[in-house]
Amino acid sequence: MALPSATLAPDAAATAALVALDDVSMVFRTNKGLFRSGQVTAVGDVSLHIARGETLALVGESGSGKTTVGRISIRLLEPTGGRVWFDGQDISHMPEERLGWLRKRAAIVFQDPFSSLNPYMTVSELIAEPLVIAGVRRRAEREERVRAALTAVDLTPAARFMHAYPTAMSGGQRQRVGIARALIREPEFIVADEPVSMVDASSRVEILNVLRGLQRERGVAFLYITHDIASARHFADRIAVMHLGAIVESGTARQVIDHPIHPYTRALIAAVPEPDPANRFRRRAAERWQDEPGAAIHLECPHGGSPTAETFLLQVPGEAGHLVACHVAAPLAR
Amino acid sequence: MTPLLAVDNLHLWYDAGGGRVVRAVDNVSFALEKKGEAIGIVGESGSGKSSLALALMRMPPKNVARFDGSVRLAGQELTTLSDDQFRREIRWRRIAMVFQGAMSALNPVLRVGEQIAEPLLLDHRYDKPAAGARVRDLLERVGLPADFASRYPHELSGGQRQRVGIATALALDPDVLILDEPTSALDVSVQAQILNLLKDLKDAPGISMLFITHDIGLASDLCDRIAVAYAGEHMELGPAERVLVTPHHPYSQLLLASLPRLHSDVPPRPMPGDPPDLSALPKGCRFRPRCPYAFDACREHPPAIPLPDAGHARCWLNDRNVAGARFETHLPTEARLD
Ligand SMILES: Nc1ncnc2c1ncn2[C@@H]1O[C@H](COP(=O)(O)OP(=O)(O)OP(=O)(O)O)[C@@H](O)[C@H]1O
Ligand SMILES: Nc1ncnc2c1ncn2[C@@H]1O[C@H](COP(=O)(O)OP(=O)(O)OP(=O)(O)O)[C@@H](O)[C@H]1O
Ligand code: SF4
Ligand SMILES: [Mg+2]
Ligand SMILES: [Mg+2]
Repeated sequence: MALPSATLAPDAAATAALVALDDVSMVFRTNKGLFRSGQVTAVGDVSLHIARGETLALVGESGSGKTTVGRISIRLLEPTGGRVWFDGQDISHMPEERLGWLRKRAAIVFQDPFSSLNPYMTVSELIAEPLVIAGVRRRAEREERVRAALTAVDLTPAARFMHAYPTAMSGGQRQRVGIARALIREPEFIVADEPVSMVDASSRVEILNVLRGLQRERGVAFLYITHDIASARHFADRIAVMHLGAIVESGTARQVIDHPIHPYTRALIAAVPEPDPANRFRRRAAERWQDEPGAAIHLECPHGGSPTAETFLLQVPGEAGHLVACHVAAPLAR
Repeated sequence: MTPLLAVDNLHLWYDAGGGRVVRAVDNVSFALEKKGEAIGIVGESGSGKSSLALALMRMPPKNVARFDGSVRLAGQELTTLSDDQFRREIRWRRIAMVFQGAMSALNPVLRVGEQIAEPLLLDHRYDKPAAGARVRDLLERVGLPADFASRYPHELSGGQRQRVGIATALALDPDVLILDEPTSALDVSVQAQILNLLKDLKDAPGISMLFITHDIGLASDLCDRIAVAYAGEHMELGPAERVLVTPHHPYSQLLLASLPRLHSDVPPRPMPGDPPDLSALPKGCRFRPRCPYAFDACREHPPAIPLPDAGHARCWLNDRNVAGARFETHLPTEARLD
C-alpha cells in the first residue's frame, strides 16, 4: 500500500475538541554547575486532542515527557512552542491571573497518594481545600459538596471518612481522596498522572473504574498518563504512545495494541509481563534500550530511515484515526 | 532428594501493643527443591510477604510475639543455630536478599564500588585488591560497566541502582536470593531488563530465588512455582502454569481476574471487600468475608489441602467430601478452560 508523502495533521477533530495541543514543545533550561547551563527538550512538536467526555491515554517509558504534556495541557506549565486550546480559547500564554476559570474547569490527580496529601488534615478538610481557596464561604455548602465528592469516588458512607486522617487509610482509599479533591470543583477535564502506579495491583481496577464512572456519568474528559499499557486498553478510548518527547503512534486500543506499527510501540508491548503461561520465560526486547538517565534511545527504522531525518505523521490506510510517526513518508504496511 | 531450602510451619507474629497480635507469617510451609528454581510470592499489600523474607534472613523487628518453625538449608536445620553462627555462616553467604525499596536505600555518600564491597569485607578471603576485582566482576555480571564502581548512587537511574542492589546480594555467591519487589518502582522497559538479568542468574550459576511481588503477571514471567499469600497464610501453592490457568483458591481466581489483560477486551474485575486486619482476623477461613463461594464449612479454618501437583490450596472447596457438588462447579479444570 502506497501513501502520498504528505504530513497529515488531525485538524478537523482538533477544532471540535475540549483540549487541543498543536505542535507543542517544552525546552527546559538546566543549571549543570556554576557557569554551565544546558537545555533539555522534554517535549518536541506534540499535537493531540481530547473531546468532551473522552479519555486519551498517554503511555511511554519514564522520561518520555508524559507529565510535561499533562502539565502543559492545563497550563501548570507554559509551553516554549506551539499552541494549547481549551474549549476554543488559546491558553498557551494566558497570564496566570486570567486563568481562574481554567482552574475550576480542569484539575489534576497526582501519582503518589502518600506524599500528595497533608497528613495533618482530615479527609474533609483536604477535599474542601480547593473550595476554600476559591472563596466558597458557606460551611454547609462545602460539607454538602465534600459529601457528594466522597460518594462519587465510592468512599461511603461519607460520614465515616470525613473525619478520618489519610494516614489511617489504605493506598487505594488515599488515592480516591486525591480524586475526590480533584472533583470538588466539578471539572470537565482531569489529568490523571499515573493515578494507580503506587497502588497495589489488585486495588488498581477499583480506582480506574471510579474514573471510568465519572467519564460516563458526568461526561468528564481525561488525560490518563501511565506506563501500564494494558490498563490503557481498558480505561481509555484512544491511546497515544510517547517516546523521547514525541508521539510516535496513536489510535484505538485495537489499532495500537493489537496492530502496532511503530517499532517503539512494538517493543513496549513486547515488554509487558502477562500472567499467561504462553508468555513465560521469554527474553524481552528491552536489552536494546539503554537505561542511562537521559540517554537518547534510537530504534532502528524498519524502512531504513535515518534517526535524524524529519519525521512525518502518517495515517494508516483504511484505519481512521490510526496515526504513526515515520522517518520515511512511504509504505506503511500492516 | 533433600530440597535446597525447606520451610515448615514458619510463624512470625508481631506485638502491635494493646494486646493486639499481628500474624504476619502464619504457619507457612514450602520448599525450593533445586538449584535455579524460583518461587514467586504474590499477594496484596500487608499480606506478610516482606515479613516472610525477614524471617528467612533472621532479621525480625524488635516487637516479635512469636517466631518459630523449621528452616532447613540442604538438610541443615538453621533455626537451632546461634545468632552468631547464622551471621557468620548463613546470612549473605548462603541466603542473600535485595530489600524492598533498596533502590532508594543506597547510602548516598558511598560510591557504588564501596557499597558492593561491604559484604565482601566480612569475608577474610578478600583483601582490598581482591575485593576490587570482585566488585568489577559483579558489576559486569549485572550488566553494568566496571567503571560504575566510582559513581555515586544519584548518578544512576532507578534500574541501574536496582542492579547495584542485586550485585551486592550476589557478592558472596549465595545459593538462595530473596528479592522483595525488585521492580515495582520501575517502568516496564527497565522492569524487563531486570527480569532478563534474573533469568540469566537462574540459568547460570543456578541461583534459586524467592521473588516477592504484588503483581502476579511479573511473577509468572520468572517463576517456576507461585505461592499466593493472603492475611499471613499461603492460600495456594503450585506450578506457575497451573496456578495461572486453573487457580484452586477463590482469592487466586479473583486476583487474576483483577488484572487488566493486554490482548483481551474482557474487563478486569475489582477485588470485592476490604483487606483484612491482621490483628483481628475473621473466624474460620480468613478469606470468608470477601469470598463469593463461602458456605457452611468455611466457619472452620481450612487446612492446606494437598493437590496432585505437590502444591496445596487452603480452601474447603478442594476437599470433595466437605464441598460436595461445589467441588465440581467452583474449581476450574484444564478442560473447561479451553
Ligand atoms: N523542570 C524541569 N527542568 C529540567 N528538566 C525537566 C524538568 N521537568 C522535566 N524535565 C525532563 O524532561 C523529560 C521529560 O520529563 P517528564 O516528567 O515529562 O517525563 P515522564 O514521561 O512523565 O516520566 P515518568 O514516567 O518518569 O514520570 C525528562 O528528561 C526530565 O528529566
Ligand atoms: N514491626 C511491626 N509491628 C507490627 N506490625 C507490623 C510490623 N511490621 C509489619 N507489620 C504488619 O504486618 C503485616 C504484614 O506486613 P508485611 O510488610 O510483611 O506485608 P507485605 O505483604 O510485604 O506488604 P507490602 O506489599 O505493602 O510490602 C502488615 O499488616 C503490617 O502492617
Ligand atoms: S474456604 Fe470457603 S470462604 Fe475460604 S476461600 Fe474456600 S470457599 Fe471461600
Ligand atoms: Mg511522569
Ligand atoms: Mg513488603
